[in-house]
Amino acid sequence: MSFGSFLQFLIDTLSLGSLYALMALGMVIVYGILRLVNFAYGEYIMVAGYTLFLLSQSPVPWLIMALLSVLAAVGASYLTERVAFRPVREQTVTAMLITSFAVSTLYQNAALLFISPRAKLVPLPDIFSKSIVFAGLVVPLRNILAIIVTFALLGFFALLLKRTIIGIALRAAADKFTMTRMLGIPANLVIGAAFAIHGLLAGVVALFWFGRIGSVTPGIGLAPLLVAFIATVIGGMRSLLGAVVGGYVLALINVAFNNLLTQNFLEYRDAFTFSLVILILLLRPEGLVRAR
Amino acid sequence: MKDKPASTATRSHIITLLILLLPLIIIAAVTKLIGNVLFERVVITLFINLILVLGLQAFMGNSGILSFAHIGFMGIGAYASVLFSMAPQMKKLALPDLPLWLGHLQLPFLPSILIGAIIAALIAAVVSFPLMRLSDASAVITSFALLVVIHTILVHWKTVTNGPQTLFGVDRYTHLETSMCWAFIFIALAYWFKESSIGLQLRASRDEREAASTIGVNIILVRWQGFILSAFMAGLGGGLWAHFITSFSPKAFWLKETFVILSMLVIGGPNSVSGAVVGALLVTGAFEGLRGLENQINIAQILPVQLIGLTEIVLSLTMIVILIKRPLGIMGGREFR
Amino acid sequence: MLALDNIHVNYGAIVALRGVSLNVRENELVALIGANGAGKSTALSTIAGVLKPAGGTIIFQGESIAGLAPEKIIRRGIAMIPETREIFSGLTVMENLLLGGYIRKDTVEFKRDLERMIDLFPILGERLNQAADTLSGGEQQQLAIARALMSHPKLLMLDEPSLGLAPTLVNHVFKLVARLHAEGMTILLVEQNVNQTLKICDRVYLLKMGQVAAQGLPENLREHVDVESVYLGDRIDAQ
Repeated sequence: MSFGSFLQFLIDTLSLGSLYALMALGMVIVYGILRLVNFAYGEYIMVAGYTLFLLSQSPVPWLIMALLSVLAAVGASYLTERVAFRPVREQTVTAMLITSFAVSTLYQNAALLFISPRAKLVPLPDIFSKSIVFAGLVVPLRNILAIIVTFALLGFFALLLKRTIIGIALRAAADKFTMTRMLGIPANLVIGAAFAIHGLLAGVVALFWFGRIGSVTPGIGLAPLLVAFIATVIGGMRSLLGAVVGGYVLALINVAFNNLLTQNFLEYRDAFTFSLVILILLLRPEGLVRAR
Repeated sequence: MKDKPASTATRSHIITLLILLLPLIIIAAVTKLIGNVLFERVVITLFINLILVLGLQAFMGNSGILSFAHIGFMGIGAYASVLFSMAPQMKKLALPDLPLWLGHLQLPFLPSILIGAIIAALIAAVVSFPLMRLSDASAVITSFALLVVIHTILVHWKTVTNGPQTLFGVDRYTHLETSMCWAFIFIALAYWFKESSIGLQLRASRDEREAASTIGVNIILVRWQGFILSAFMAGLGGGLWAHFITSFSPKAFWLKETFVILSMLVIGGPNSVSGAVVGALLVTGAFEGLRGLENQINIAQILPVQLIGLTEIVLSLTMIVILIKRPLGIMGGREFR
Repeated sequence: MLALDNIHVNYGAIVALRGVSLNVRENELVALIGANGAGKSTALSTIAGVLKPAGGTIIFQGESIAGLAPEKIIRRGIAMIPETREIFSGLTVMENLLLGGYIRKDTVEFKRDLERMIDLFPILGERLNQAADTLSGGEQQQLAIARALMSHPKLLMLDEPSLGLAPTLVNHVFKLVARLHAEGMTILLVEQNVNQTLKICDRVYLLKMGQVAAQGLPENLREHVDVESVYLGDRIDAQ
């Protein structure tokens, strides 16, 4: 492998992995506390996408649009928690999982009904279509941007979780939820914060996800949801660090598959990766990174 | 447990089954009398949905574990049964790359759908045994992963499924009487399973997991048995559906169908066979009614835009409200008696 | 200070408490003893708000607290140290203590409380930045107690603090409980170690199959417990 193709491979993996890592992190932050894998997670990406689309005619600068669409994802996530998950929280985990599946269907069909079944173009800033030439490679600037933004966000969350009382409470709640309540930390505060972060990460991923594909449809959430599933299982469902590692590992696997497998096999890629998911859950349910 | 004399218990079971069957017999009889083709299609759909919901109830209702793979086994049953029932000359057109022995083979309808269901059950038996020790979120993700794997294979195994394209040329064998008879058989089967010793142990493992294992319930084994039965019923439902709809693609066995069947069980109440029947009746009725309304509005162009998704919105909202207000569904875990 | 009246608690179909009444006065050290499964831990969890009573009243400082959420109970001044200690394993000792003082927002007070804990438990002072799951069993028990004390409880509930500890550490725990009591803390203690418990407590309740079987001063109950000890011993051995 030449240096150029290695560098290409590295940048592809890192930029794709950054999105996967954020997705997985958002998934695990809720799973850790509620044992809920939220099927509606992908729909927050859809919400951000449609917010961008609806704002595309407005005169506001793109950065403001982006900010508003991330906020819309946060709002959708928080709203789902308040309206749907909170009332079923005391019931079984299965009841919560079914609720999240119903919520996912609700969001998708609301988009079908109130917006359109057809793909809608999402406004993107010029910088997303620019590329830089580096060591003989043409690298899309949005990929570099995705890596930088992800690293910054990860650093920000690391600080938040280490240095703020709510961050420490979130880590404690993921470990022993009832005990955090017995120390006086309100369940709704911790869970609300987790869902806000959940939505925030989905919103940020959305910007780069649409940066890659350019348009939004009601069913757009499924692909990122599947990614989040696989990445969290690979990394270990109870570890935040594991989720991030899982995201990058999944990207590595995908990019490697794309480069190595022939088209015939590539068609079955989902079958392979999801068989891998089943095997990991059976053989090493704690994933690559053990929870601490 | 109530300590009833055996004969009284048997009588109460028979009463329950009669209460469940009677409205279905009436519906079928009325359908025959009216003789409206469209209405008959709705009723056949109802019976097939009922079979699928009963299959889901057999596993999920008794074990308390949400399985996403169910509709995947329906898909396996549908495609597998068609491979045996389709006429050889039709196979040359629809599936030209089939291996010769299969291409030349044609079996009658009944053995075909039974083989389809058995294949679904066998695949379930092989792949699911190790999965049965997982609960809650892990169980859901693995069963979801299983659905994705089955779906991916159906979409890409062009030789036997015609790939993502529609598979056409299936003969229509499933009529009102056929679907009704199978629905009745499966109501009885699901009920028998629930009341059998396996079903009893499975329900014990759902309600008091630790207690069940301390009294010697082999949780993995009883779950596995429930899962196989569930896959068999899904496979047979798939076979019936394939020979009713006559042309279909792998898209039919994906999240939309999963949602509809799951909503029936959740709304009716997963913990009883009566819940499954009530859910199938209500949701099929509401679904077909709302779909009809949507189509009427779209055809008449009352609204400036096409009305799409209203049915699913109503269903998902109902489901969420039921989960919040009445977690055990309309039947609340009870049977009619 | 605390009064339970006719409390009933069920786990699904299993009845755990059937009409338990007990009270704890200010500055008292009251012990709950009884065999495994008698309902001692259930009683503490119900007071702490983790379990909801199916019937009966719980009055704390003149107000009903039955059925309140755990995060409300601690704000009333009741802290509980569960049998399993529930140390946050990925967090440092310092972070555990920080969350212990969550309901006290004042940072100056927090510093003073922290110093007091280090005074009480010098070993924790040495390990402030160490992950809590690297501590030994005895150190974890100290951390659990320190974390509960950080909230300045009016009533401290300890569930089997000596469980799983080496004999010397058991003595240490009992000394500590006695010391807290001597300093004026009101304590509700659940223990299997009957002899040591009877030495330090003011009053005792004996629970049996979810009901109060006997109550009174330790010296009076000692005879009763001797009679019961055959039963107690049997039950403990059988577990």
